[in-house]
Amino acid sequence: MISRSAIGRNAQFALRRQCCAKPSNRRGLAAAVSGSTSFSYDSSDVSGVKVASRDVAGPTTKLAVIAKAGTRYQSAPGLTSGLEHFAFKNTYKRSALRITRESELLGGQLNAHHTREALVIEAKFLREDLPYFTELLGEVISQTKYTPHEYHEEVEPLIKLSQKKLLADVSELAINSAHGLAFHRGLGTPLYPSSSTPLTKYLSDESIAQFAASAYSKPNLAVVANGASQADLAKWVGEFFKETSSSGVGLTSEATKYYGGEERIAHDSGNSLVIAFPGSSSFTSGGSYKPEIAVLAALLGGKSSIKWSSGFSLLSKAISAFPGASASTTHFAYSDAGLLTIQFSGSAQAIRDASAEAVKALKSVSEGSISKEDFTKAVALAKYRALEEGQNIESGLVATGSGLIHGGKPFQIDEVGKSVESVTADKLKSAAKGLLEGKATVSAVGDLYVLPYAEELGLKI
Amino acid sequence: MSQPSLVNYIVKRPWLSRFMKPLASWYANAAGYRKLGLRADDLIPEESETVLLALKRLPPKEAYDRVFRLRRAFQASLAHQLLPKEQQTKPEEDVEYLSPIIREIEAEAKERDDLESLSLNKRKA
Repeated sequence: MISRSAIGRNAQFALRRQCCAKPSNRRGLAAAVSGSTSFSYDSSDVSGVKVASRDVAGPTTKLAVIAKAGTRYQSAPGLTSGLEHFAFKNTYKRSALRITRESELLGGQLNAHHTREALVIEAKFLREDLPYFTELLGEVISQTKYTPHEYHEEVEPLIKLSQKKLLADVSELAINSAHGLAFHRGLGTPLYPSSSTPLTKYLSDESIAQFAASAYSKPNLAVVANGASQADLAKWVGEFFKETSSSGVGLTSEATKYYGGEERIAHDSGNSLVIAFPGSSSFTSGGSYKPEIAVLAALLGGKSSIKWSSGFSLLSKAISAFPGASASTTHFAYSDAGLLTIQFSGSAQAIRDASAEAVKALKSVSEGSISKEDFTKAVALAKYRALEEGQNIESGLVATGSGLIHGGKPFQIDEVGKSVESVTADKLKSAAKGLLEGKATVSAVGDLYVLPYAEELGLKI
Repeated sequence: MSQPSLVNYIVKRPWLSRFMKPLASWYANAAGYRKLGLRADDLIPEESETVLLALKRLPPKEAYDRVFRLRRAFQASLAHQLLPKEQQTKPEEDVEYLSPIIREIEAEAKERDDLESLSLNKRKA
């Protein structure tokens, strides 16, 4: 028989050993790490590819390839969507299945999405796997096969689904319509092909491969990382992005011009009204950045940022009398233009009443009759939003990448804060006046019998 | 779809391949499908998932031509006739058009199986 005390002792030892047998690469929270706490990006040029990184301390990294190939730059409708869905498909070196399984084994997450200006292919992973995922992204952009069967079996059905999704979404339809009215071509192209776009005419594996050749050429690309040191990233990008073509001149689009106008679309499943005005370009574009538009967006607001209160914003005060309507102000900033949109949703009658009130609120801003307190609150909120966008990994990556490929600067968080603070009440007043004097964009989707015309709201088209 | 075959064994040995080549072409001619205007790949049985998928992946022109050859062959067979000499498949026309796709699909399936039965070695820290 074994004595009880003997077993007990062994068990104790075993337990103790277990708790000490930690893998040597595991890092405690208090350990010194290579990262810094600065939120600004370092950028450089590695053999033609623009590389930027922010070495934030932490065990994970997010790496993204940002190509100047958003819907604005596509040469035929749907190409950007097609290219996005072809990310991480079969390449000449390995199959799509292998890419998936290998990334799963390393605990990585792969994703591709696009905005109006940029196509983003990104990977999130543990810091030490940087070489593997840099190689993977380099392979995806230069070695993808664009096979016909993948196009027919996997890409095309997804594009068709996104068409249907867009058709059912009233607010998305209204935003796309407003962009189309405001900018016509280029930035006005819908973010996803709409259901009546003749896709078979423009979209095939060959046309996508052709588009990829110019979209993924070196002058058209930026590689941005969050949580990797610039030296490491530059080294691996130099090694793995060699096969990216450097011959292409990249994609270009005409300079954006604001047009404005009105569009009304009958729709059965919901109501949405978008009133839009020309906005400011994004901070990273340099010259034409106007912080007062961001402050105006915060002042108009609509959605409260504090719980259990309707908030200080003019719109939320104005529409509180119309239950069933909700409003929100968004400022879409692009590389050479912007769009300040006020979107209403809810029942048609409530939207009709609320939108008239909202235009009155905007007029009151242009007449300068806003309280000093509201103005201070709006500046603070706008500053917070701008800084949060920079600190946020996701939007910071895209903003920095877009800035680099459009020949601007990476997103520098300190300067953004300062420029928002410099807005004065007079500047805001004149900005609002300018908007009301210029041409507005009004797009109504839903029950057209009730939804108002721009003329009825007192806006110039 | 894949039967046991000596092709790879023979192709790897040039002397054997040189010896077998005339035999093989004699056999292919004697098999008679060329006299009905068919190609060897038209004879692959369709009743398997792999071949069905491969047929779906054929380029539209190839798929159309395949159906044309099959219907012409049925017609000739029903009429108990061989096609006129100029419509019969010439040996240089008798190329693989479906088998490469089938091999690709089989390779995909094999890779999936291999990855499914993967055993992992821990990375040394």
